[in-house]
Amino acid sequence: MTAPHPPGWATRTFVYGVSGWVTLLTYLFMLAPIVVLVAFAFNEGKSSVVWTGFSLDWFGKVWSNRHIARALNVSLIVAGASAAIATAIGALAAVAITRRQFPGRDLLGAALAAPLVLPEIVLAVALLVFMSFAGVTLGYTTMVIGHVLVSIPFATLIVRAAASSLDPRLENAAADLGANEWQTFRMVTLPQLMPAILTAFLLSATLSFDNLVMSTFTSGVGTTTLPLRIYSMLKLGITPEINALGAMMVAANVAILLLVMGRYLPLMLNSNRR
Amino acid sequence: MKTPRLALAVSAAALLAACPALAEDLRIFGWANEMPDEVLADFEAETGIAVTFDTFDSNESMIAKLDAGGSGYDLVNPSQYAVQILINRGKIVELDHAKIDTYDKIGASFKEVSYDPGNKYSIPYVWGTTGLAYNKTCVDEPITSWKSLFDEKYKGRVYMLDNMLAAYIAGLQVNGFDANTTDPAEIEKATETLIAQKAMLAGYNSTNFADLVSSGEACIVESWSSSVLQAIETNPDVVYVLPEEGGTMWIDGYAILADAPNPEAAYKFLSYILRPEVAAKTTTLTKTATVVTESKALLPAEIANNSAVFPDEATIAKADFILDLGDAMKLYQDGWTKVKAAQ
Amino acid sequence: MRRAARERVETAALLAPSVVLLAVFVLLPLCIVAAYSFALRDPYGAVLPGFTFDNYAELFQGVYLLVFVNSFKLAAATTVLCLLIGYPVAYYIAFKAGRAAPALLLLLLIPFWINFLIRISAWVVLLGRGGLVNGALQASGLTDAPLGLLNTLGATLVGMVYAFLPLTVFPIYAALQPIDRRLLEAGADLGAGPAETFWRVTLPLSLPGVLAAALFVFVPSMGVFAIPVLLGGGKDIILGNLIVQLFLEFRNIPLGAAVSMLLLALSGLGILAYMRALRRVEAMR
Repeated sequence: MTAPHPPGWATRTFVYGVSGWVTLLTYLFMLAPIVVLVAFAFNEGKSSVVWTGFSLDWFGKVWSNRHIARALNVSLIVAGASAAIATAIGALAAVAITRRQFPGRDLLGAALAAPLVLPEIVLAVALLVFMSFAGVTLGYTTMVIGHVLVSIPFATLIVRAAASSLDPRLENAAADLGANEWQTFRMVTLPQLMPAILTAFLLSATLSFDNLVMSTFTSGVGTTTLPLRIYSMLKLGITPEINALGAMMVAANVAILLLVMGRYLPLMLNSNRR
Repeated sequence: MKTPRLALAVSAAALLAACPALAEDLRIFGWANEMPDEVLADFEAETGIAVTFDTFDSNESMIAKLDAGGSGYDLVNPSQYAVQILINRGKIVELDHAKIDTYDKIGASFKEVSYDPGNKYSIPYVWGTTGLAYNKTCVDEPITSWKSLFDEKYKGRVYMLDNMLAAYIAGLQVNGFDANTTDPAEIEKATETLIAQKAMLAGYNSTNFADLVSSGEACIVESWSSSVLQAIETNPDVVYVLPEEGGTMWIDGYAILADAPNPEAAYKFLSYILRPEVAAKTTTLTKTATVVTESKALLPAEIANNSAVFPDEATIAKADFILDLGDAMKLYQDGWTKVKAAQ
Repeated sequence: MRRAARERVETAALLAPSVVLLAVFVLLPLCIVAAYSFALRDPYGAVLPGFTFDNYAELFQGVYLLVFVNSFKLAAATTVLCLLIGYPVAYYIAFKAGRAAPALLLLLLIPFWINFLIRISAWVVLLGRGGLVNGALQASGLTDAPLGLLNTLGATLVGMVYAFLPLTVFPIYAALQPIDRRLLEAGADLGAGPAETFWRVTLPLSLPGVLAAALFVFVPSMGVFAIPVLLGGGKDIILGNLIVQLFLEFRNIPLGAAVSMLLLALSGLGILAYMRALRRVEAMR
């Protein structure tokens, strides 16, 4: 079969041209504010608009601000705990949904994805009303539960996608070689799911770390998270202290990404390519 | 296998860290930007009590949080009318003045406040006013009246506080009404005024309004004295005034919650912050006026003589003092919803 | 027999945590909110037992309907804009970017790594009178004086698109990426024009992704509350603001509960519409 023109030629000229430009502009739109934000973290003056000179003072200020340090601590605790719980619960459910037959399987799958399409504010309000109804003091517990609800759909979907694309022949082979079910799961299934579980954990932690809506309603004594703290810092104006904090977040995230995701992401993307 | 185990270990450690520390703790729920970090740190260093200071940005959200399942705080930092609400709801307890060894440092006029005579339930601490701030570079006349907030000349350059009671102060006083009115007709008229104003507003903002007026994004903003005065420090073009219609005065105090886990530490904190030198430090850093008479002598001259921080007696006498509005609150709420939803 | 029983126990063990979580912390709380939406209140905000339709009756007054209309408009505009921008981007990444695709996807996530409020405050600075956008407009001679860009519907939309765009690109990319390139080539071979190939092959195959993207953007954007305040000047309040106001400022829990129920119903309608559309799309194939 001979093509009258190179494959994909038509689509390329028509849509690629447009899509290329839109993509370029979109990336400018998405990244330009961040470049500006990071740049002004090094501003000497108090302005986030007028450049007056280079300085690292704002980073020192962020570093020595007791409220930020505390809020960061709270955010890390809540993110770590909620991501661990969400990933664990989500992974168990994902394995059950993809591997087992049970009544109401589709329903559970849909229910676990539901928080994704229910307005977070309604979930948050419901949780607050429930906690005050049950007489639970607001604090770490309420906030971790809230954050688990926010991230569990993502955790479940990610692990589910990976579990359903596993090759069952590997597990059969393990069984043929005399491995019992638990051994098969631990030695064969789990390692294959690990990249997905790790991704689920990281995504859940990221969502929790950035959460404002759920935190607004579920925060209690000593559980002011970083986003809540930033919201109250914005009252005194957008100073380079906020920019410095943002710049530190970019740096930390790039570091985590290079360390962890750099190893697993190519695996994930390749496994999707089948 | 290694990494997830690490993740689990980290989370477990995090959960352990979340458990309450064994040292003595004091948990305070207070206004953002009215208690300097230095004061908290000094108190911790002197007493060894670890302070957790969570902040709120309106009396209403503070009350809502206290309502939602046992609060867990020792001290709360309500404004005058919120003190009344908290008393009515049984959220705060009578104070034992004998346990506050600096109680007599409080100025006489602050001991007989109408919302809490004799400071039975609350210790006043700082006070300020609700008025307006403007940027000299974009107005060509001195601003002296709420009317400027409704002046078409400044269309698109005016912000109102995004706070129901604060917005109604301007809406009521510009019509010549008392900011404490419970008369449905007056509230209705103020609502109409505020709805009519909406078309010329840049927006409602109780977050970064000081920044907006300081950067020149806004020409005139309705504002609380303290936030704007903290911004003025860096920008001589910003002026804060109490309008000729009066404006309002507010007092933010401290009260001990009925379910406070550690009331003794709360008393220690109250005794500490009422020391003249500590109160002076608070005033210097937050630009809020102090109720401690002796502190005034310890203040830097530019603050002690600043009429925006310490307005004179005549000005204060003209200002209204918002008290609990009781059932009329519903009228305000319905009106405010109309204002916010209006196109 | 024993094996089947053991499997059943195992399955139950796997499912227990998620079922308990959903039942106790989602379903039960939502039921309480539903019950509260029919309750009475005292002026200080305590919920009183009782049964009334007053809260719902109040909702259908003009004021609240305006808020609903506002929210719907804003959510619809955000969704359309996100799809119009997100589709070409996803298309480019899926078909054109080649080896750069993973990097491009990651770059799109960068804004997510910075706190949401800091991101929005960056736009407050950029769109301000002294900000870069006005600076660029003046430098290029397009305008003489700084424009009031902040606190407009446009600014709110910029913030909304900025927040939700990545959520559109990912599902569309996921739908485009597995499309068999040979199908497109076959279309071209059969003499279909580029536009025809796109409309008849590519777009239909990617529609499930588009629908999912629309759902992911539309529903959450009705519950947002910080963006309209910081970028829109707080002048057009939407359902998110209304719920925060009713629960955290007015302490009107019954009315807030009624608003939440209505928002929930709207989201349910959105999901139903999504599922119907998805079925139709799949039937088309």
